[in-house]
Amino acid sequence: MDQIVLAIECDPAQPAACAPANTNELFETPTLFNIGSFGVNRAMLLMVLAALVVIALLLVAYRRPRLVPTRFGAIVEGVVGYVRDEIAVGVIGPEGVRYFPYLLSLFLFILVGNLFGITPLINFPVTSRMAVPFVLTLVTWVIFVILGFVRNGFGYVRDIVWPSTVPVALRPLVGLIEFVSTFALRPLTLAVRLFANMVAGHMLISVLLVGGFIFIVEFDSKSVLGVLWFALGIPIFAFEIFVALLQAYIFTLLAAVYIQSSLHPAH
Amino acid sequence: MDLLAQAAGVTGDIGALKSAIAAMGYGLAAIGPGIGIGIVVGNAVQAMARQPEAAGMVRTTMFLGIAFTEALALIGFVLFFLA
Repeated sequence: MDQIVLAIECDPAQPAACAPANTNELFETPTLFNIGSFGVNRAMLLMVLAALVVIALLLVAYRRPRLVPTRFGAIVEGVVGYVRDEIAVGVIGPEGVRYFPYLLSLFLFILVGNLFGITPLINFPVTSRMAVPFVLTLVTWVIFVILGFVRNGFGYVRDIVWPSTVPVALRPLVGLIEFVSTFALRPLTLAVRLFANMVAGHMLISVLLVGGFIFIVEFDSKSVLGVLWFALGIPIFAFEIFVALLQAYIFTLLAAVYIQSSLHPAH
Repeated sequence: MDLLAQAAGVTGDIGALKSAIAAMGYGLAAIGPGIGIGIVVGNAVQAMARQPEAAGMVRTTMFLGIAFTEALALIGFVLFFLA
């Protein structure tokens, strides 16, 4: 881990210059307190906080619906409308309204979780713990596999391993690729995409901002390198807002596409 | 693994060698998806410029294409952590 955190010569007397403490919590989070034999750490608390933020957001925006929404209400309605019209209905079709609540919860939870990474005083994207994208992906996987069996019976798997639109000689090969891709690679890449983007973003911010800060402090604020590093960190910080939005959008979009492909496997 | 151990016998640090190989492997894994995403986005931009009214549809399809192209780079990223 440490080679990629800071590529400077490491001084054992000052371990702070070797690895910013901020990145270690991506992989090890100390237990804060125990409920029975169940240890609770910071990532879990932030997960609950993310869920509460989503609930509060929707409650405040929709508790008293009015004809002309407030500015805050208009923003939330824009997001909700976008997920419904562009993702749920736009990808799945008219049936998509049934899956819209799931997709909206997915989108908002991931968005809030991602944005925690650039929120001052929190500075930890909960979606950068593999467990979170993994569970979200597992739920999506169970939904689209069960949906495929419910809608198409055994034909769901048959269409994947023995695709009728492909020449017969190629069917075993294409079938194998499709089988692995549908049942193994889809969930793997869906989870890892979110995880990797959040880890990379968090590390980039930590290395640039924390590293730059350490350089400025260690060298009595005469470090040109530290200032340059810190200055580079600020546009990256803004870029992370964009990445947080984009990853939440892509995760939701792909979940919708997978659900759609189970409803109409021929396409 | 034996080969790795032998090679590490020279430098004496197997962990650093493994990390270096993993880092290079991830670099190699990023080449193909990099080119692929370039092609996907380039053609999507061209499509949007030619037919601006289809921009919404093209954008959704573009993100899907990027997502599928990215898969190999992501697998490389996982192997980097596993190594």
